[in-house]
Amino acid sequence: KKDRIMVKYILVVTFLLAIFSLCSCKTKQDLLDEKVKQLTEWSNRRTVIQMNSNKYSTYVKSKPRNYSMIVMFTALDPKRGCSVCREANDEFTILANSYRFSPAYTSSLFFAVVDFDEGSEVFQSLGLNSAPAFMHFPPKGKRKGADTYDIQRLGFHADNLAKWMAERTEVVVRIFRPPNYTGTVVLVLLFSLAGGLLYVRRNSLEFFYNKTFWSILSIFIVLAMTSGQMWNHIRGPPYYHRNPQNGAIHYIHGSSQGQLVAETHIIMLIHAAIVGGFILLNEAHQPKVDISKRRIMAIGGLVLVAFFLSLLMSIFRQKYQGYPYSFLLR
Amino acid sequence: KMATGGLVGGLEGIRNPGALTSLIIVVVLALCCLIAFASRLFAVIRFESIIHEFDPWFNYRATHRLSTFGYYDFLNWFDERAWYPLGRIVGGTIYPGLMVTAGLLHWILNSLHITVHIRDVCVFLAPLFSGLTSIATFFLTKELWSSGAGLFAACFIAIVPGYISRSVAGSYDNEGVAIFALQFTYFLWIKALKKGSVFWAVCCALSYFYMVSAWGGYVFIINLIPLHVFVLLLMQRFSSRVYVAYTTFFILGLLLSMQIPFVGFQPIRTSEHMASAGVFLLLQVYCFLDYVRSRTTKQQFRSLFFLAILIMCVVLVVGVVALTYAGYIAPWSGRFYSLWDTGYAKIHIPIIASVSEHQPTTWSSFFFDLHVLSCTFPVGIWLCIHKINDERVFVVLYAVFAAYFAGVMVRLMLTLTPVVCMLAGITFSATLSYFIKNNDNGEYAMVGDDDDSEGDEAQNAESQSPRSLYDKAGKSNRAPPTGGKKNKQEFVGLGANVKGLVMMSFLLMLMLFVVHCTWVTSNAYSSPSVVLASYNNDGSRVILDDFREAYHWLRQNTHDRARVMSWWDYGYQIAGMANRTTLVDNNTWNNSHIALVGKAMASTEDKSIEIMRMLDVDYVLIIFGGMIGYSGDDINKFLWMVRIAEGEHPGDIKESKYFTQNGEFRVDQGGSPSLLNCLMYKMSYYR
Repeated sequence: KKDRIMVKYILVVTFLLAIFSLCSCKTKQDLLDEKVKQLTEWSNRRTVIQMNSNKYSTYVKSKPRNYSMIVMFTALDPKRGCSVCREANDEFTILANSYRFSPAYTSSLFFAVVDFDEGSEVFQSLGLNSAPAFMHFPPKGKRKGADTYDIQRLGFHADNLAKWMAERTEVVVRIFRPPNYTGTVVLVLLFSLAGGLLYVRRNSLEFFYNKTFWSILSIFIVLAMTSGQMWNHIRGPPYYHRNPQNGAIHYIHGSSQGQLVAETHIIMLIHAAIVGGFILLNEAHQPKVDISKRRIMAIGGLVLVAFFLSLLMSIFRQKYQGYPYSFLLR
Repeated sequence: KMATGGLVGGLEGIRNPGALTSLIIVVVLALCCLIAFASRLFAVIRFESIIHEFDPWFNYRATHRLSTFGYYDFLNWFDERAWYPLGRIVGGTIYPGLMVTAGLLHWILNSLHITVHIRDVCVFLAPLFSGLTSIATFFLTKELWSSGAGLFAACFIAIVPGYISRSVAGSYDNEGVAIFALQFTYFLWIKALKKGSVFWAVCCALSYFYMVSAWGGYVFIINLIPLHVFVLLLMQRFSSRVYVAYTTFFILGLLLSMQIPFVGFQPIRTSEHMASAGVFLLLQVYCFLDYVRSRTTKQQFRSLFFLAILIMCVVLVVGVVALTYAGYIAPWSGRFYSLWDTGYAKIHIPIIASVSEHQPTTWSSFFFDLHVLSCTFPVGIWLCIHKINDERVFVVLYAVFAAYFAGVMVRLMLTLTPVVCMLAGITFSATLSYFIKNNDNGEYAMVGDDDDSEGDEAQNAESQSPRSLYDKAGKSNRAPPTGGKKNKQEFVGLGANVKGLVMMSFLLMLMLFVVHCTWVTSNAYSSPSVVLASYNNDGSRVILDDFREAYHWLRQNTHDRARVMSWWDYGYQIAGMANRTTLVDNNTWNNSHIALVGKAMASTEDKSIEIMRMLDVDYVLIIFGGMIGYSGDDINKFLWMVRIAEGEHPGDIKESKYFTQNGEFRVDQGGSPSLLNCLMYKMSYYR
């Protein structure tokens, strides 16, 4: 009899267990659906979902998931002073929006952002000590090394992010940038300004025939090119370089392969000074001008040319190792 | 009252100052040619008479073919040894001007029983032409300013590193002859413009034809000359001389340029050439309207004018859009597109971005290539604009546009260099002419006819007037103009000390320029890069001839039809020196083929063997510099192979896999597994 009770007991327990497990199974599915539904709703409202620690642990970290997450860890608060974060945020939003409005959009990939001020625990648990960072959380399996975006090497340009995303999630998105109208607006403004000026001064268009105006314009274009502004435009170097060890600021790049923006401005000024010196020398013979003034012009022009040419050569000597020549200055 | 200096006094026989001027010009130009030739010989003296680098090897091979089998065989040459298995139609894909020039020279010399090997003709062609360039530059600058400025410009261009970089002995490339053609075409254009004669315009078209046959840079001419005409039109400097010169030049130049097989129908189909056709049409319309205006009342003409302008604009825009849409006018080709939208190449065309000469230019390379000229030539712009006339408009436009292009691409420094020399020549001669005069004997020496006498309207008379000369010899030889007495008093006032000081510093500056040029030529531009030299601590020289030994090994030890796979840099050299079939070479016309080779190099051995079997590869050639510290080896270029392969096969090759976790490119044991297992790495470090 005791055995029967025992059997009955076991039966009941197994039954209960079966029900319980069924229940839990059902709740797991429910939970997943709910999570996806919630995330979809959020992402419909805002393509990049704002998350704090709690949300992060429920939607990104805890396990039942059938969707990928791409999360940006950042510090956007102005008092954190992270200017890179803002740029990265823009690029990330462009990526998320391109995805949101592309045919590849499904509920299997979501974009989220965790700000340091709202989820510093998350930063700690991931061992992150720099922002911004981009991470991909795959639907199943552990995160691999490549799931962390290599921001040092690739930068945070949306095209590179999209490439990385395509690699990790096989969702291919064409980046669509909202067209930038500032250039056009500036151009239109400039043209209308010039047009207006011409219209207002239509009775006296002498400045149009002013040779000095045209000379200065062409010389400016030429000097901008010979001082390497086009290189700056294409390569985008920093304005100056700060040595991380001792905080010393360098305005001149150490090698002849590169240059800094400040450096090109200095070079442009030097070139302009030499050109000015030559022009002074040429003007010094004008018979109309007073003789003592002419003498000063000649001497001044010569000094300008000699000094700035020596300066130019000494800067070049610094950059080009093994260059043997110098003039006046070392 | 003839102003004769001591030099003339010594030369009793020469009483005519014009003769002395010519004598000085001839002597200085001859010395220029000599210096231009001599300063390009560093490589020949240090090594031997050898063809340099990569592209010249193909040009040499083609010239060799031309001189052996004749011109028609050369035009129809199908090279089955390149781009295996595709082959290459050589006759239709090259600018033959260089080869024909060298072949002709070789033929003439041999007809005169001066036996020279075709290789020596090829090696010394560029130095020879640089002498001609300096003569052409002299004539061009003389037309623009004065013979004194011309002599300065000729001296500058003879030794300026920006031009030497492309024309040392052995650097047998299109640019060597093309810069001469460029300068000469411009000279003839200015001449045609000044005279308004059909004869000079025809000469200009012929010279343009030579330029088209020699270099793709002819596009610069066919855009600059129309631009010049257009700006003249805007400045209301249009005249029948401009009309005659431009229409003759345009029609003949168009027809002649289409005779080059490689150019073909491009001049009427691509956007690069459209500006010239547009300006041509504009001239016709302008002249027609001018004619109509002379026959109608003002009111009638006004309405007619607006109607004509409206119709023309609509027809032009619709026409160009429709033709582009229908595919008759090709859109801009990639290389030209990258000149305007500077970010384009970087994103879309890795094969263009990978070539170092397509990079933008830093200020230090401007200074390196032009030295003091780079900061003095803007003064020439100032002077030209302040004493503007038709031809000086041209030189200003030339300077501004060439400066822009040189800023975008390092290799286009070559088109900037001539105009820099010309303008710097003008600067120096104009400035020196005021300070060089010796006025101890109270003589007012008015040198340079351009200074005060001529305005815009006087240019016709001016071109006939005898020109005087001032140069480093420093002797003026022109009778002072009447009424110069008053000026004299004031000119004396500047003082001999100031003048002496200015002269001294200018001489120092020019001497610095000369030593800079020599140093740069000797150190930077005179390495054949086929043969390398290094120096031991005791100063003794070691010659590394591994390239030629390797190619010689291939020639001696492989089957005649063996196919060698290598990165494209070495394609021309393998074909030229080893005479073996290559898969890809420096004529990078087929990106997907190059990407396939890159993929084979970047894949694991079992995957790359499939690709290599598919391509019938017998040998793989790689350059490894790790043993001797040669930095230009294939491992160094490897990332470009990966990038180009990734562009065509994004599924199989991923650039990020070749970096370590920390994003470094390491080739030791810490490198990424994809790198350590790829064919290129295994071959480089097979032990």
